[in-house]
Amino acid sequence: MATLELINIHKKFGDFVAVEGVNLRVEEGEFVTLLGPSGCGKSTLLNMTAGLEDVTSGEIRINGKVVNQLGPFERDVAMVFQNYALYPHMTVEENIGFSLQLRKRPRTEIQDKVQKVASMLELEKFLHRLPRELSGGQQQRVAIGRAVIREPSIFLFDEPFSNLDAALRLKTRGEIKELHQRLGVTSIFVTHDQEEALSLSDRIAVLRLGRLEQFGTPEEVYSKPASKYVAKFIGTPQMDLFAGEFVEGGYQIGSVKIALPRSLKTANTPVDVGIRAEFVTLGDTGFDAAIRLVQPVGPFTYVTVDWDGGSATARVNGVSHLKPKETIKVDINPNGLLFFDRNSEKRLDLV
Amino acid sequence: MPRYLTQFFIRFGLIAFTLLSLGPVVWSVVTSLLPLSALTSKPPDLNPLNITLENYSLVLDSSRGLFSGLVNSLIIATFTAAVGLVIGSMAAYALARLNMPSSNKILMMILATQMFPGIVIAIPLFLVMSRTRLVDTHFGLIVVYLSFILPIVIWILKGFFESVPMELERAAAVDGASPIQTFRYIVLPISLPPLFATGVFAFIEAWNEFFFAIILTRINVKTASIAIAEFSGQYQTLYGQMLASAVLASIPVVALAIIFRRFILEGFAEGAIKA
Repeated sequence: MATLELINIHKKFGDFVAVEGVNLRVEEGEFVTLLGPSGCGKSTLLNMTAGLEDVTSGEIRINGKVVNQLGPFERDVAMVFQNYALYPHMTVEENIGFSLQLRKRPRTEIQDKVQKVASMLELEKFLHRLPRELSGGQQQRVAIGRAVIREPSIFLFDEPFSNLDAALRLKTRGEIKELHQRLGVTSIFVTHDQEEALSLSDRIAVLRLGRLEQFGTPEEVYSKPASKYVAKFIGTPQMDLFAGEFVEGGYQIGSVKIALPRSLKTANTPVDVGIRAEFVTLGDTGFDAAIRLVQPVGPFTYVTVDWDGGSATARVNGVSHLKPKETIKVDINPNGLLFFDRNSEKRLDLV
Repeated sequence: MPRYLTQFFIRFGLIAFTLLSLGPVVWSVVTSLLPLSALTSKPPDLNPLNITLENYSLVLDSSRGLFSGLVNSLIIATFTAAVGLVIGSMAAYALARLNMPSSNKILMMILATQMFPGIVIAIPLFLVMSRTRLVDTHFGLIVVYLSFILPIVIWILKGFFESVPMELERAAAVDGASPIQTFRYIVLPISLPPLFATGVFAFIEAWNEFFFAIILTRINVKTASIAIAEFSGQYQTLYGQMLASAVLASIPVVALAIIFRRFILEGFAEGAIKA
């Protein structure tokens, strides 16, 4: 187990700035996700941590020791790649044992360890198969096994689920979380899937265009997003954002005024508000709006409503029998409102 | 179209193609086993009682030059394939993996060399070769063959190397392999099928080549294909001996194809290593 510190990391590819001044400290045994859309620098950051890519400037420390000049192996990190990168000409057993074989460990020791890892990942039956004879989920587990056998101080995962179908993805997600609970190894996980990040992580680092936008617990990034960007990126359905304005006793969105419980000390800049679906209720109180879209997702139904100058999505429990074009009363809970500086897009703590 | 009909047409096509390809081969073998008199009678006398190995013993025994032709062909084809593989694989790997700004231009130039038919460059090539005293030498012919085999080798292998995910090498590095170990344990083993396939291909190309061989050789370095052609003379063509030579000359090629069949199939068909 180890701590990992990224100190003022920059990475340029020619003129292109991939990572710009990222600072991050990962505690011992923590599970941290690097989250962002493609091109935000998350994989580059992971590759630099692994030692597969040089940093342009900045320092990477593992357990307090600067590792910039060390190769991947000397950093004692293990990595699971997006396409698994299993050695196609080696059996499962050889794939998992390759790192030990390189270190010239005795044959019996390698066999023992491979056996142990294989039984943990339920791969015993496949030890003598080649990767191409395995299903996607099994290949994925071999890739994890290859990392686990090293007993590294840090695990690095580069979008390991992106080649799996939806059902398998959920299952593997659970397996990775269990693995982390069991081994307690510091882990860095790269994904563009916010739900994956929320469900797996101790903390999430949200990246945008090579910069760290927010670093916090899943709860923090969900309920206290640092910026509009984070607010929009995290949560299903996407948070509704409004460019309205403060008026006497409330906040005006088009024809609708949301009453605020107390008058807020408004900033000098214009303020946008955001609201999540669970704070929008449909029913007997509130203002009139027209239903535009009804999307059932099982335990909930997302209902999108329009009013003059605004539109929001409400989360309704269970299956809703509402129909598009019907009119309904909408209530927005002012406690759920988040305020953002319209110019800087940062969240404002208004009291 | 129902499935069985599709199957039927595919099979029918394959069988027709096989028969069409096998026809000349069968005829060559038959001809090589019959005496000249049986072949020149009209219609040809295909009586199996006439079968004889006379043609074979004649071409192998005589000073007709078939034997030395085979030796020359073997030397030239082997060197062409070996040198082509060594240079070609390095070039292909570099073009596939190193981010060189001009790699596309280089590739296009390599391809462009393939656009000239041999006949166009034959005369200038002959002049160059004779001035450098390379006419009628093994080395000269090897150089010429490399000039048109290398581009093909480079393009085939470049395609293969590109299909090998970069992550494989990265995974090996993370597992603690040095660059040499990565090459030895990962890159080399997975590259063997395409290397063999391309090597066999280069060998066959060089072995069968006729046009440049007839222009650039005289006495010393006659290849098998020239030796075979010489059975066709001004006054008569010794069909039986000619085709006996042809059969003998195709044995190494067929043997190669059979021995490396698995590699050739894997190398060309699979090509990509899918994770």
